[in-house]
Amino acid sequence: MKKARVLSMLSATALASMMVVALPTAAHAADPACDGKLTVNSCVGATSDGAPFSMMVPGNFNGTVYLYSHGYRPNVNVVAGIPGYGGYVVTNTPQPGPNATMIGYLLSQGYAVTGSGFSRQGWNADAGVATDVELIGAFKKQFPTTKHVVAWGESLGGFITQALAEKHPELVDAVAPMCMASGTVEAELTMAGDFLWGVKTLFDPSIQGTNYAAGAAGYVQEMTDLGKFFTVLGKIQAGISSGAWPDTTSATGLALQKAGIPVRSAFLLLGLMSGIGTQSAHFDSISGPAGALKLAFPLAVSPALAILENGANAGALAILATQDVENQSGGVIFDNTKTDYAARIATESVVFNVALGGDDSIAGMLAALSPLNPGAPRVTGNPVAIAKMRTLLAHTGKINVPTITMVGVADPITPAGASQWVADKYAAQFAAEKAAASAAYKTAGSYVPPVKKLLSIWSTTPATYTTFTTAGAPITSTPPAPGTNHCNFTTAQYQVVAKQLGSVAKTGMMITGGALNTLIRKAKNLSIDPMYHAPLLKFYNE
Amino acid sequence: MIGTSRRKLLVASAVLATGALAFTAIPAQAFSVHNEIGVTSNSIKLGITLPMTGAAAAGYNKVPGGMKAYFDYVNANGGVNGRKITLVVKDDAYTPTASVQLTNELILKDKVFAVVGALGTANNKAVAALVNPGRRGIPDLFVNTGFSGFADKKTYPTTFSLFPSYVMEAKILSMYIKENFPGKKLGLLYQADDFGRDALAGFKTGGLAFDVSVPYAPLSQATPTTPPTWITKLQAGGAEVVVLFGVSSATAAALGAAYAMKYHPQWILGSVSGDATAIKLAGVPAPLFTGVQTASFLPAPADTTDEYVKLFQTINAKYNPGTTFDNNILAGMNTAFVTVQAIAAAGKNLTRKGLISAIETKGSTFASAGLTPMAPSATSHAGYNGYWFGTYDGTATLKPNGGTYTVYTTDSGAGAVAKSTYKRPAMPVNGLPTN
Repeated sequence: MKKARVLSMLSATALASMMVVALPTAAHAADPACDGKLTVNSCVGATSDGAPFSMMVPGNFNGTVYLYSHGYRPNVNVVAGIPGYGGYVVTNTPQPGPNATMIGYLLSQGYAVTGSGFSRQGWNADAGVATDVELIGAFKKQFPTTKHVVAWGESLGGFITQALAEKHPELVDAVAPMCMASGTVEAELTMAGDFLWGVKTLFDPSIQGTNYAAGAAGYVQEMTDLGKFFTVLGKIQAGISSGAWPDTTSATGLALQKAGIPVRSAFLLLGLMSGIGTQSAHFDSISGPAGALKLAFPLAVSPALAILENGANAGALAILATQDVENQSGGVIFDNTKTDYAARIATESVVFNVALGGDDSIAGMLAALSPLNPGAPRVTGNPVAIAKMRTLLAHTGKINVPTITMVGVADPITPAGASQWVADKYAAQFAAEKAAASAAYKTAGSYVPPVKKLLSIWSTTPATYTTFTTAGAPITSTPPAPGTNHCNFTTAQYQVVAKQLGSVAKTGMMITGGALNTLIRKAKNLSIDPMYHAPLLKFYNE
Repeated sequence: MIGTSRRKLLVASAVLATGALAFTAIPAQAFSVHNEIGVTSNSIKLGITLPMTGAAAAGYNKVPGGMKAYFDYVNANGGVNGRKITLVVKDDAYTPTASVQLTNELILKDKVFAVVGALGTANNKAVAALVNPGRRGIPDLFVNTGFSGFADKKTYPTTFSLFPSYVMEAKILSMYIKENFPGKKLGLLYQADDFGRDALAGFKTGGLAFDVSVPYAPLSQATPTTPPTWITKLQAGGAEVVVLFGVSSATAAALGAAYAMKYHPQWILGSVSGDATAIKLAGVPAPLFTGVQTASFLPAPADTTDEYVKLFQTINAKYNPGTTFDNNILAGMNTAFVTVQAIAAAGKNLTRKGLISAIETKGSTFASAGLTPMAPSATSHAGYNGYWFGTYDGTATLKPNGGTYTVYTTDSGAGAVAKSTYKRPAMPVNGLPTN
């Protein structure tokens, strides 16, 4: 009886799998063109929606393919001179792995790799999942010896990977959303939007920030905002040293300046209320130079400099992604009319009390940013546009297949809290599964404990890492510290994830126990401490 | 069915194993299996974060020496239930972000059983929010701060206070000032953060209004031009009695500026503000202490008639040689003493959960040098609940007013302030607490 039921389920799964695969393949995607090389057979093609893809299959293909989803690429060209994005030209070049080293590593192990460049750039989660589904079908059709598919991706690609596993668990054996955005696009855009609103409100009211026009006019507004944002960041950076507020400071900002509040304190407050981290690529908010500033630098200055490094990413994201999602949704999608920024920093106002200038200074800044201050107008979103944005693909957080998340604890774009959101959802899911197992034991007499399906890996920062010149100036020319910057992983760290995915494909189980601990230890700067809990994005606490 | 059979087999194996061990007649302690992190059959590892270097270190950096000296004394006398205690000390330089990082290290790398005596209100709040010992079930014992919130078991389930709260202190100060300085113009200099806010709440409840209040931003005392502005405000307000509720470096800055500006009010220092060691190290000469009053919940460190002080001085001389015994050593040893008491009370099968339970159920009867009882319970993690007042002499030695300890007690709520009737029990034999 039991055997028959299992067979029946298998058949149903296979049928569902075939149906899902069969449908997109029938959507007139061209068959890929392959070079037929014996060592690595490389194929290129496009899905039915025009997303170019590549497939690389080694001669000793072991039957498992790694499907990679790349991260956010702006959907517009970015003018030169913008940090991080300057000179970017829109591209949909397919990307079958995180980097060439990892692609080579997987191929050397007998795994195949595949990935697309998606059909459109910008926030494209809905289209991305559709492309991945079709690509899986195309790959299986092209390489019928394929037995297992594992999916991984980074940033927006992590979001797409998690969504793929939620919607189509029958297509993937295991997934690894890395440095992922999670939940909804709204969570990320709230963080970025709060920060941009704060910078506009205090430091440069001419920044538009929202309500970008469609088409070419919107593009000009967007690029103008990027230029203004990074210009004012430069002035703030100078002001952190000199004490001067930017010459574009608003009347509200000038009032704070007159009250004796340093620009670094005001800027730090904006970062904290948005949920931007105070550990950045070069600033740990702990270290100080030898001498008189040993204590004062980490207590008063370093957190603001960390926000400066991290906030550059957040602000750019706010402008580029907001313009994109506004255009997709038809209006202003950021709304902070009801945001309680004081509540947002309840903990931070204690931890960073010195850097913020003490209670009175904090109260003054919060009053300046209050909705009661006409000099700090809040942004009212377009309800129709917001509703439409909320129809974009969102996660439930359900874990259907073995899943490995990995994220830097100080990732500035997709904070560790995004992966924590998934971990929290899974904790509730696992508790429910345990309860169900216990209930089944009471009725059926046998207890089958649920198997844990989520492994959360945290890329950790060193205890301290800010370095200084002999004159006491912080050094920012060194590579970013581990655990900081966006998707800043080493090859060894990627390999931990890749090996876990490979293990599931091969044995049906993740590596656990001592073997896992050894992997983690050897990769360095990783933690799987189950009790670690990253702060959630502010959006999720409201 | 398979699951049930396997479980039966495991149970049977366990029974057999237990039986086999029983026959060997080895002492129970030798075969008891301890899975608790930081505990073995013969050791207990504890950790602390506090400023050992930097501007805030003066005085506080003597605390771990005092704690270690007492633990060494206990270890030399057989330890607690055969387990010797080690203390891992991490220097956070008083920076909350460093406290977070280092507490994580204590937990994950050093694998301590519990954190003990971590110092600083902001530091402990940062750790509670970002390391979350409460969620992890890690005891966070006898924090070195009087912030009243840490008594809240619901918010901080594994954190225990030891100091009376700043709210209690301010309430008791209110009563003391009203009784002893009626009609005087009152001034208040306080740190504008959680620490000072707690005090303001206590003064409000205590019904004490100040004629002039001067808040200062944390660390602003380090800017040489700032302290004179405090004094100018206090002078302009005509304050004859000035209460200082801040850190010792602010006390030093205020006393120095006042002396230079020929301003000589009656200074009353809060317990944190009144650390003579730190103030002297900051350059304030001992004669300037003359007549300055402060509050304390432990006996005066120079009071050799007190059996705890006497024993602690002996222990300090032997296990912490070359270090002058003062209020910081006394506080460190007392924290270690209460910790040993709690560990002993948790019994031989030492677990984190058991330790927390022991403090909640037996903490109010713990022996200690404190001149008021501790107040932990199943619903509150409060520490001591009272203060006595003393006056410094020209050698910066604190002596109780009137020659005896008159202790006042209250709570962190709306309860009245009253003279304490508490009689401290005799010290355990040789200063070694038992269960």
